[in-house]
Amino acid sequence: MIKERVREAMVGEGAPGETAPPVVRLEGLCKAFEEGGRQRVVLDKVDYQFDRGQFVVLLGHSGSGKSTLLNLISGIDRPSEGHVSVLGTRITALNERDRTLFRRDHIGFVFQFFNLIPTLTVLENVTLPQELAGRARRELEPTALRLLDRVGLADRRDAHPDKLSGGEQQRVAIARALAHDPLLVLADEPTGNLDDETGERVLALLLELTRDAGRTLLMATHNPDIAPRADRVLQLHDGRLVE
Amino acid sequence: MMVSIDLANGSARRAFALSTDAITGKATHRVAGGPTGLDEAVYRDIRVAAGFSPAAPVVEGYVGVPELSGQPLRLVGIDPFAEPPFRDYFAPAAGGANGGSLDASALTTFLTEPNSLIISADAAAEAGIALGDTLTVNVAGREIAARVVGLLRPADDVSRRALGGIVFTDIASAQEMLDLRGRLSHIDLIADDEAALAPIAALLPPDASIETAAARQNAVQQMTAAFEFNLSALSLLALVVGMFLIYNTVTFSVIQRRPLFAVLRMLGATGGQLFALILGEAVLLALLGSLLGLGLGVLLGRGVVGLITQTINDFWFAVNVQGVSVPPSSLIRGLAVGVGAALLAAIVPAIEAARTAPQSTLRRSTLESRIRRLLPWLVVAWAALTLAGAALLWLRGGGLFTAFAGLFAVLIAAALLAPPLTDVFMRLVAPLTGRLLGALGRLAPRDIIRSLSRTSIAVAALMTAVSVIVGVSIMVGSFRGTVIEWLDQTLQADIYVSPPNVTANRVIGALAADAVATARTWPGVARAVSSHTVQVQLPQFGRLVQLVAVDGDVSNGNRPYAWVRPDLGDDPWPALMAGEGVIISEALALKENLPTPPPDITLPTAGGPRDFPVLAVFYDYSSDQGSVFIGDATYRTLWDDARVSAVGLFVEPGQPVDEVTAALAARFAGRSDVLVQSNEALRRGSLEIFDRTFAITSALRLLAIIVAFIGVLSALLSLQLERARELGTLRATGMTRRQLWGLTLLETGLMGATAGLMALPVGYALAWILVYVINVRSFGWTLTMDLRPEYFIQALLVAVGAALLAGVYPSIRVGNMEIASAIREE
Repeated sequence: MIKERVREAMVGEGAPGETAPPVVRLEGLCKAFEEGGRQRVVLDKVDYQFDRGQFVVLLGHSGSGKSTLLNLISGIDRPSEGHVSVLGTRITALNERDRTLFRRDHIGFVFQFFNLIPTLTVLENVTLPQELAGRARRELEPTALRLLDRVGLADRRDAHPDKLSGGEQQRVAIARALAHDPLLVLADEPTGNLDDETGERVLALLLELTRDAGRTLLMATHNPDIAPRADRVLQLHDGRLVE
Repeated sequence: MMVSIDLANGSARRAFALSTDAITGKATHRVAGGPTGLDEAVYRDIRVAAGFSPAAPVVEGYVGVPELSGQPLRLVGIDPFAEPPFRDYFAPAAGGANGGSLDASALTTFLTEPNSLIISADAAAEAGIALGDTLTVNVAGREIAARVVGLLRPADDVSRRALGGIVFTDIASAQEMLDLRGRLSHIDLIADDEAALAPIAALLPPDASIETAAARQNAVQQMTAAFEFNLSALSLLALVVGMFLIYNTVTFSVIQRRPLFAVLRMLGATGGQLFALILGEAVLLALLGSLLGLGLGVLLGRGVVGLITQTINDFWFAVNVQGVSVPPSSLIRGLAVGVGAALLAAIVPAIEAARTAPQSTLRRSTLESRIRRLLPWLVVAWAALTLAGAALLWLRGGGLFTAFAGLFAVLIAAALLAPPLTDVFMRLVAPLTGRLLGALGRLAPRDIIRSLSRTSIAVAALMTAVSVIVGVSIMVGSFRGTVIEWLDQTLQADIYVSPPNVTANRVIGALAADAVATARTWPGVARAVSSHTVQVQLPQFGRLVQLVAVDGDVSNGNRPYAWVRPDLGDDPWPALMAGEGVIISEALALKENLPTPPPDITLPTAGGPRDFPVLAVFYDYSSDQGSVFIGDATYRTLWDDARVSAVGLFVEPGQPVDEVTAALAARFAGRSDVLVQSNEALRRGSLEIFDRTFAITSALRLLAIIVAFIGVLSALLSLQLERARELGTLRATGMTRRQLWGLTLLETGLMGATAGLMALPVGYALAWILVYVINVRSFGWTLTMDLRPEYFIQALLVAVGAALLAGVYPSIRVGNMEIASAIREE
């Protein structure tokens, strides 16, 4: 139902006098951690919004709060203060279950360490989020296989992750993140664990399947070489987002 | 559990030994007689004719004194004048080495006033009894009033505890009370050497003999050896389950710290040093755990000692346990076994860690791939160990120790089969659960296979515990079924008349002659059969058995026999009544390894030892020491004993049994020395004793399950720690908290089901060993195996239920995980 509402909103995009809602809106977002009895502020009153189809790069040194920001946007983590709205839904107001369901339906996640489920095959990893949503595997397979074909791994559909190289695993992770056709994809250092050449190929693939397909891609990275390819580059510094 | 059983067994054993020592005193030998004891003239002959000194006459028996204790007490009749060399409790206050504390006036009253008692001051204080109080001494239902005239206050603690279960009276009063007029139980002697006893031996009657003081005590204590051994062995089962858990814990601790170990190896730590480090940790933790176990064992022992004492009182001899004593030897043994078991269980993971190269110090995946390679070898090890176990069970001469070694071999072998069987079962079940439950159904069995080194250990622990439940349940059920059938066949009389028993399972004392006559001639009674039970020591085997003089078959020809002499057809009773021989119980035949046909049995008659041919071997579940049936007329002639212990009455056909029973009970109303019971009441009473005897096995079963429950719980918790990132990923990619609970519970449910399914054949094998090997060797009883579906259904439910329960906390915990930090972890 949430998905339908979002789709409806997006259908209205471009109509005379109407403005499409931002894919992500951050309002007074704060996050602090307790460290040795002291508060460490990672995000300090961040107000921002990201629009549809943008490729946004978040730069920042280790521990600057890039991953924390992605976790807050995906609803994995909760802010100390402020709000996050995704596709018009204020996810910080949702309970834990609804946040999970929202994430499952509308957000794709790509991790630095691939995080594939080792006991599932490549194809099963790709269909997993939607299977968890209660959809039958048989009806999910054609789309999943198409995606695997796009990432060049259709022939490895029955292999387990431990038989794949790092680059192949990340390509499967990209297919998994896109299998449910999300409008927002969050990528946390997706090339951080790959060599340069493989990282470049993975990045190209990710861009082809997200920005080029009209999806919003928010990527956290410490690699400044990626910045030139982004629509927007944001720097996280002292808890603030700087353009 | 081991410590508690050890302490309880030890306490019962020590209580008996203490009270025996208290009675034996400094005696080196004793003159013992037949079932009715010795003629008191023998004492005079020893003192006068043989001129032997020191010698002291003793009359003893078990009595109840409700004001003093709920347990049976030993009534000991003594001659204070003959006592001082033997027991110094009765020495004047200043003179006793034990600080004898009786004043002279107490001794005077003791000697001059009939039915006067001297008891322990501690026991009196505990029961609120004061000097001069009158107590009721219950001897086989007869109630005799007796007055406390003296209180013993020995200086040392050992004597104080020993005297708690003893009531002293003068010898004439004891003879009156115990209905042993003119008789003595035995005569104590102190002799420097055997040669000094020669003059006594020459003048003893044929049924009397001289034995060392220790011999009798050993013979009595041997009775409970098998019972105690069984309990100790069962308590070890919990230790076996515990060892699986220690293995799991140490493996986990090694894997968790693999980066640290890898760094240590890089810095030059040798494999041997890592091995020593891990074992050192195991020893420290084992010491802590064992010390905790010792404390819990002492607490548990206090609970268990009552159950053990009750069983010993029911079946073998009266023992009055004042409390659980905690000797250092038991604690040291418990500590050694605890630390030893922990070391044994920790050796494998320690070797694993020490052997691995620095760059891969025991990664979980390394361990898992090793386990996978090991699977075929585990099947081979299972087959080899099972065969070894079967061989041990086959060895008849090995006795109980090899039987239990065989049982443990079979059980440990089955545990070795847990990894391969878990692997096979999960592969079989995965397509089904996948089809039924989708992604969760595929994930759960595969997760179990992926972490086989941990999950299969939890399965093995649970399987072992549930197998014990199945095995012991089938054994107890089979035993109960066999006893019920045996009671149905054996107890055919409608009414039973006997003295009320101080202990539940043994007839002590005899019926008054008028009660026997009244019962025999009661209107409506068609036929009466009487029996008289005495305890004799068979000189052939040195074994104490029940000698039962019978004048008819109370089973009315329904009694089942293991063997009957071929020329007697199906019924050995005519030959028995004609005095042609005796019928012995299966327990005696099996315990003494008698061949078929059995050889003649030598009985110590009043005229000296005499051989009797064996006419038949009958099934008997009332005594594991052995029983010998002898014709009533033969017994009366050879032992000069007219007493009758019990009478069974057959009511005339057509007569209402209930009414005849009620009328006879009314006839004896007000007489505490006669108990009239219907057939049903006697059976019910017998089954109550049975159920009470096996109550302790319920505690053992429950404890084994608790240990296994903790095993599954700890396995799950550690698995979740290891799989934190994977579980975090599942949550991040859309798995709800409820789905994660479902996944965890499905995994534990599958582990429980695997353990439950494995436990069915293993439990059956244990039951077979318990019924056909352990029981036969321990007690000499052949049981009929009674397999009921409920035992197996119950086992499956217990396994799955325990596993699911163990999964509750981990699922709640994993549901509350911080996804963000979980997916960050490498």
